[in-house]
Amino acid sequence: MASLKRLETEFPILDPDFQSFCALRGIFTVQDFLIRDLQSLVADAEQQPSSERFMQAINQVLYVIDGLHQPWLNGVDLMEDAQKNKHVLSTGCEGMDFLLRGGLRRGQVTELAGPSSSGKTQMQPRVLQEVMNSILCHSVYDIFSMFDVLHCLESKLKYQVMCRGDNDERLIIIDSISSLITPILGSSGSQGRALMVSAMSLLKKLAHEYNLAVLVTNHTVGGDGGIPKPALGESWKTLPHVRLLLSRDCGSNTYQVSLLKHPSIASGKAAKFIIND
Amino acid sequence: MLGRAQASRPSLSLPAPLHRIPLRAGNVVEIAGPSPSAKTQLLIQTAVSCILPKERNGVHYGGLGHSVLFVDLDCRFDVSRLVEMLRHRIVQVNGCSCTADDEEILKLSMRRFSYIRCYDSCELLAALKTLHHRLEKEKESNGIGGHLLMIDSIGAFHWVDRASTSLPLGGKNRKYLSLQNVLEVVVEDLRKLMSAHPMLVIVTKATIVGTTGNDFRRNYKRWPSAGTFDASSELEGLREPYFREYMPPIWQSFVTHRILVRGSDDHIAMPKSQENNTAYVSEWLLPRLNFLDKFVVRNAGVFLVS
Repeated sequence: MASLKRLETEFPILDPDFQSFCALRGIFTVQDFLIRDLQSLVADAEQQPSSERFMQAINQVLYVIDGLHQPWLNGVDLMEDAQKNKHVLSTGCEGMDFLLRGGLRRGQVTELAGPSSSGKTQMQPRVLQEVMNSILCHSVYDIFSMFDVLHCLESKLKYQVMCRGDNDERLIIIDSISSLITPILGSSGSQGRALMVSAMSLLKKLAHEYNLAVLVTNHTVGGDGGIPKPALGESWKTLPHVRLLLSRDCGSNTYQVSLLKHPSIASGKAAKFIIND
Repeated sequence: MLGRAQASRPSLSLPAPLHRIPLRAGNVVEIAGPSPSAKTQLLIQTAVSCILPKERNGVHYGGLGHSVLFVDLDCRFDVSRLVEMLRHRIVQVNGCSCTADDEEILKLSMRRFSYIRCYDSCELLAALKTLHHRLEKEKESNGIGGHLLMIDSIGAFHWVDRASTSLPLGGKNRKYLSLQNVLEVVVEDLRKLMSAHPMLVIVTKATIVGTTGNDFRRNYKRWPSAGTFDASSELEGLREPYFREYMPPIWQSFVTHRILVRGSDDHIAMPKSQENNTAYVSEWLLPRLNFLDKFVVRNAGVFLVS
């Protein structure tokens, strides 16, 4: 967050007088401005001898703050963006495609939860077959390396869009996100959950801005009456766009995937399919 | 005088289950519930009712003609769902599907819908601080109109703000970005916005801190028998507070109305379609109403069942 001192070079109205006026009230950076009550600051500024300059300076800082949030979009812009950019990627599996009305949607994060040997990893090559571009693989062993990889990817995507107006990448797969998050989720302390929320926030940002589909896998834990439920707890449930639960009929090649949550399809539906090795 | 006050801020007719209590500009409604419980679907249904015009070209659409400001903190909003519900309403009124008139009404309504995503608390604070100027400019160009501000969902940054370290910052009077401070500023900014521009605020809140599903079932006194909906027995169970309130008191006192929604275990068999729809129940906690509303979510929107 820029300090007022640094902003002075760009906006000379934020002169040392204004900076000391703000410093007396505990404001040194733009972030301090955000956390303050603007009206009382304006009332204070009007009491000062150089009130006009101070008001102009405050308006200047507000102008800088206006650049700190995402732009307001109109409903019509959203519709056009969805039609133009947010297409579906087929999963390569007819049953799943039918359930999801086409497949994985770009701009959304889909969670695939299932116990071990329920076909989660077998689903992956089918999805990848649809991706004609090069497949990049990164091994990460903890959540911080995942953040590193994602930040590098973000810079790369930003650069591509700047140069060519479009990016090549279509899909990010994280197998499995639960193995990165479970070690840091303790029952007390909010650090683990905060990292989980930040990671998903970053994934959703990348998905929306660069029109990627994101697929994350999760394991299951014992739930009510022995029926497995997805891991990672209550807070996790609010994070992905689409949540799927995969299960396998004992000893056969038949898999069942049920829809736990979707922004525009009723939950509770299921589909069965067979994967032949 | 009360009559005059009420006349200056007429109550808005909103879809179920928000229709039980007359809501007007200046109210703050909180829709709380576990995930998933159709909270966002309720918001979208309300948005559709608001952005539709009351009447156009002699056809009565029954909307409010208000603009909607949607602040998406969860970043999971699907605009295609909003368009689907809006289209259903328009076709229902017009009777025939997909004419040029329909598209015109759709575009006109969608223009009243404004959307912003916030990926962290700083972005939310920045958006709220600059919203006043934006609305002022709009007032100059479009005239005074009612607004509806929707926030989905207010607990999205709860863990991140809770975990943000309180490093001692240099200088006295300096505040750091903690959960309490962020919410104080959000409440202040919202209050100022509401006094300058008349608006109704509807906020969703996911109950992310509380008893797990297992505990809930153990605490539930009487389990409703399958196929029947016994309102009194469900009400007994709901009276136990099974989700912990995690928002600080400053937020709790800011909220003027509260609804709790959750999935019901009864599945409603629809006569026309082959599938069972999951039903949801909603209960007004503030002001306390002693009955439950049951609703289902279908392609066309949210419909009351009982």
